[in-house]
Amino acid sequence: MKMEAQLFHIFRNNPLGRETLLQSIYFCKKLGASPVVYIPKFTRFLMYFENDVVQIDLDSSYLSSPDTAITHATDLLEQGGVSIRFFEPKHYTATTLPDIHTNFDYMACPRSISDLSTKIGLGYIGPKVRRIVNSARFPVLITSPVYKEWHSIAVFFGGSANAVNALKLGFRISRETDLPLDVFTYVGKVSRKSYKQAIKDENLEKEMDRFVNKWHIFEKGSFEENLYKVPHTALVILGAYGHGLIKNFVFGSKMEKIQSIISNNLLIVGPNYVATQ
Amino acid sequence: MKLTIHEIAQSLYLPLGTVRRWIRQGRIPIHKNGSDFVFNEAILSKWASAHNLAFAPPKKGPEKQQDPELENLFSAIKRGGVFYDVKGDDVASTLKVAVENINVLNNHSKENLYQRLLERENLTSTGIGKGVAIPHPRSFLSDADYRPFITTCFLEKPIEFAALDNKPVFVMFILLCPSVKSHLHLLSRLAFCIRDDSFVDFLKTFPSSDKLLLKIADFEEQLDRTDQY
Amino acid sequence: MRIFKSWRYPASWKFFRLDDRLLLMLMAVIVGLCSGLAALALNRSLIAMFDWVHQYHHIWWSFVLPAIGAALSSLFLEKIVVEGAGHGVPEVIYSVSRYGGLLRFRSSYSRLISSCLTIGSGGSAGPEAPVVMSGAAIGSNIAKYFSLNDRQRVTLVGCGAAGAISSIFNAPIAGMVFSIEVILGEWKSVNIIPIAIASVAGAEISRILQGNQIIFSHLQFNINLLDIFSCLGLAILTAVASIMLTRMLRSMYGISNKISAPIWVRAAAGGCAVGIIGLFLPVVLGEGYHAVQTMIGGTFSQGLALVALASLAKIVATSLTLGWGGSGGIFAPCLVIGSLVGLTYHQCLILFWPSISWVNEGYFALLGMAGLISGMLQAPLTGIFLIVEITGGYEVILPLIIVSAISTSLCHYIEPASFYLKELVERGHLLRPGTDARVLSDLDVREVIEENCITLKQNMLLRDFINIIKISPRNYFPVEDEKTDNFLGIIHLDDIRPYLFNPDMYDVVILGQIMDTQVDVVHPDDDLSEVLRKMDTHHLFSMPVVSNNKFIGLISKASILDQYRKELVVQTSQ
Repeated sequence: MKMEAQLFHIFRNNPLGRETLLQSIYFCKKLGASPVVYIPKFTRFLMYFENDVVQIDLDSSYLSSPDTAITHATDLLEQGGVSIRFFEPKHYTATTLPDIHTNFDYMACPRSISDLSTKIGLGYIGPKVRRIVNSARFPVLITSPVYKEWHSIAVFFGGSANAVNALKLGFRISRETDLPLDVFTYVGKVSRKSYKQAIKDENLEKEMDRFVNKWHIFEKGSFEENLYKVPHTALVILGAYGHGLIKNFVFGSKMEKIQSIISNNLLIVGPNYVATQ
Repeated sequence: MKLTIHEIAQSLYLPLGTVRRWIRQGRIPIHKNGSDFVFNEAILSKWASAHNLAFAPPKKGPEKQQDPELENLFSAIKRGGVFYDVKGDDVASTLKVAVENINVLNNHSKENLYQRLLERENLTSTGIGKGVAIPHPRSFLSDADYRPFITTCFLEKPIEFAALDNKPVFVMFILLCPSVKSHLHLLSRLAFCIRDDSFVDFLKTFPSSDKLLLKIADFEEQLDRTDQY
Repeated sequence: MRIFKSWRYPASWKFFRLDDRLLLMLMAVIVGLCSGLAALALNRSLIAMFDWVHQYHHIWWSFVLPAIGAALSSLFLEKIVVEGAGHGVPEVIYSVSRYGGLLRFRSSYSRLISSCLTIGSGGSAGPEAPVVMSGAAIGSNIAKYFSLNDRQRVTLVGCGAAGAISSIFNAPIAGMVFSIEVILGEWKSVNIIPIAIASVAGAEISRILQGNQIIFSHLQFNINLLDIFSCLGLAILTAVASIMLTRMLRSMYGISNKISAPIWVRAAAGGCAVGIIGLFLPVVLGEGYHAVQTMIGGTFSQGLALVALASLAKIVATSLTLGWGGSGGIFAPCLVIGSLVGLTYHQCLILFWPSISWVNEGYFALLGMAGLISGMLQAPLTGIFLIVEITGGYEVILPLIIVSAISTSLCHYIEPASFYLKELVERGHLLRPGTDARVLSDLDVREVIEENCITLKQNMLLRDFINIIKISPRNYFPVEDEKTDNFLGIIHLDDIRPYLFNPDMYDVVILGQIMDTQVDVVHPDDDLSEVLRKMDTHHLFSMPVVSNNKFIGLISKASILDQYRKELVVQTSQ
């Protein structure tokens, strides 16, 4: 019996946090993973990755009404029909600074965890979330603001190594959930052929035939206009970085556009992503 | 050399998590290059032996020889042959005649085999009752590179074999196997067949070679079915 | 584009892949220079700040100055940098033990500023521990920038610490020895060379910018045998002083934590108290290096009572500053207290044996410093080398060794863990490489688990079980529920061994009846040391690993031993 995948979720005990938790529960049920819920007792914690230590300063709404937090979370998990597991930090760097390990398979984040709820909207991904995506070995699920079920998968393929990882992840999720998979590519300066070549180089042609419902290649119109074609009930999988010199410092330009225009759930694959298969 | 992390873990006989951790901690001379792992085979080999670890890099070339599967009664009996009206008045002479029949061995080996079969009989009788005996050498022939075989000898007349139930023996199964494993395997299967009275009665009819093999195949099918759980 | 990308990953260049020692040496130079500069920056700003504050010393309300400084420093740490006060050195050791030296970038500058505020305004603390923390963080972040692995990063953290200490004291050997003895805890040639280089780089940059000066110069000492004997008593006295300082610091932390005022109010209160003491005994304010210089020079010349009082006052002042939220280290206070204790001892000697001509009081001040540093840090080598280098007094090395060694041993006997390591040891976080605790913390249950187990269902008959035993190599068999696959219990071969050969029972016994449901399980996230403890208390050799009610595999002492040995060999034989 193989171990189930684990999704790390930090619970915010307010209506916004409820939406995020419901989204995580849905994701877990679809993928046969189990959520690990952390109810923070301090606003700060440290996440030690392989090559980086990220200090997360949570917005104080995360600590509201601690006495009801466990009951609320337990109720939601029970209703969702997933196993109930809470994360208790075992090591502390300082008395108010717990360590959180990073051997999870997924992590769910709202668009920002350090800022007030009022700041969370399209186009904004908080700096801490960005750092997590940058260092993590797992994909990060950025949930849409309201609970929304997804019935298909959409992968953005831009040809870079990061995008290939995103594509492979898409194949795996499609296989495990039996949901249709669409691939979207915006042909920019490079020709259509080079994307097909990229697929060939990675020996993914068979998988493309097997899993992909339709490969949408956009050649006309602006990128933003074409985003309308992405179904609104899709889980969008994409790589965080693209090509270019400064690729390790900022998110790719396409990625920024995507996250500021569509409100789907985003599963973002960072540069340090390692497939668990 | 470039390998995936799974292949590296397999070659080092270590769990995946351990190898990944050692690469991150810098304790093993392997470098991460994106999602590939690069190392120098000679250096890694040296490192492994210095640290008491086995290292078996996947070889490019012909596939490794698979371990030979355990043979079953059917092929063993077929290979050994079935003989009828084997003459002899006592254990020794019967064995001598029986051994002569085995034409896969040369004369020297036959003499060797005969001596060992006799030695084994002198220890305890291989007559396991109901008129069946299973002579076999106590230790295996030195040229161990042969396939197992069972020579079936139906005797001309039943002889005293000092068997467990003191009944005279009418059929001998001479068992010759290259390893303990195949010996035990064939012995247990044969014993399973003999335990069934109907099989012994069938033997008493001195069946032809084909009929015998068919019957054996039947029994083996039964055995295979119970082995699945 | 490839070239641009790969310059940030020097560890993967072919040249360095084979042997990264050269790479570490080059990095050590960079780290040493940077941390040396950081130390210098703090030093200079302290001098500047002290001069600026000094103008106000004659005003009657000058005792509030340390309070303001401490309050500002704790506010800065809490609100602006959001880091949290407390000593940096234990955090560095913790990170080296557990996470391969990962330190936050903000630690490279935050402590410099906050300790400047605390000490510059008169708080009784030292700039060394903050500078060690900054240097270590600089080393760690340079390693992070170049994507080095854990082992290389730990070395660079050590380099940063060494560079910082050697720069601030102009004492390269002391920097090296401190880094290896206290921060890293292991003497390996692969570490020593880069750390030595960083130490030299730090000292060099300090000499270039500040000139090659010995901090505390002194007169020649005429030492005779009696003086050497007398240092035994001094060793005991310094050990007592170290214990007093440690205990008082801890009690101050304890008292401060019980009060529920915001942290900067507490810091201000502590600072106020220090200020008041400082009004009467100005020697307790600030770093105290001026005072040490006079004491070693032999020009302090106060009576026994005053000196004894001063040493006690300094102990109290340091505990107040650090225990109540101020930011700084204990090196410098140890030096001051040590000199004061030395002088006290000297005065006592003169009192009891006035006829003997004892050596100059500077000698005892020197030895007192060594005794106190060695006792507090329980690092005798650091103490010896530091004192030799900052006083240039190699001729006192014999009594120096005696005092350091005795002081360390006495302190170790009474307080088994040194000041920096105490809280780590209490939480079980001191993991020196090659120790049992370290090996167990590195190993994970997932690495030791055996997954190829055949599982049984609770409605199977004994007959089916017999068939399974034929092909399974194990003695433990987990039982799962037929419908939900949930883990129900374990069957151990020993339990049914007497009945295995009784064919009459084969179709009568159902496995669900004979399984053991009250079985201890292990979760994949458990600590291995916890698992071993469970095994030892219940005398088990094998335990099932269960996650989410599903059976994952078995964990056995045999497989733990196998992995443990491999891990130990790899950890200790680089």
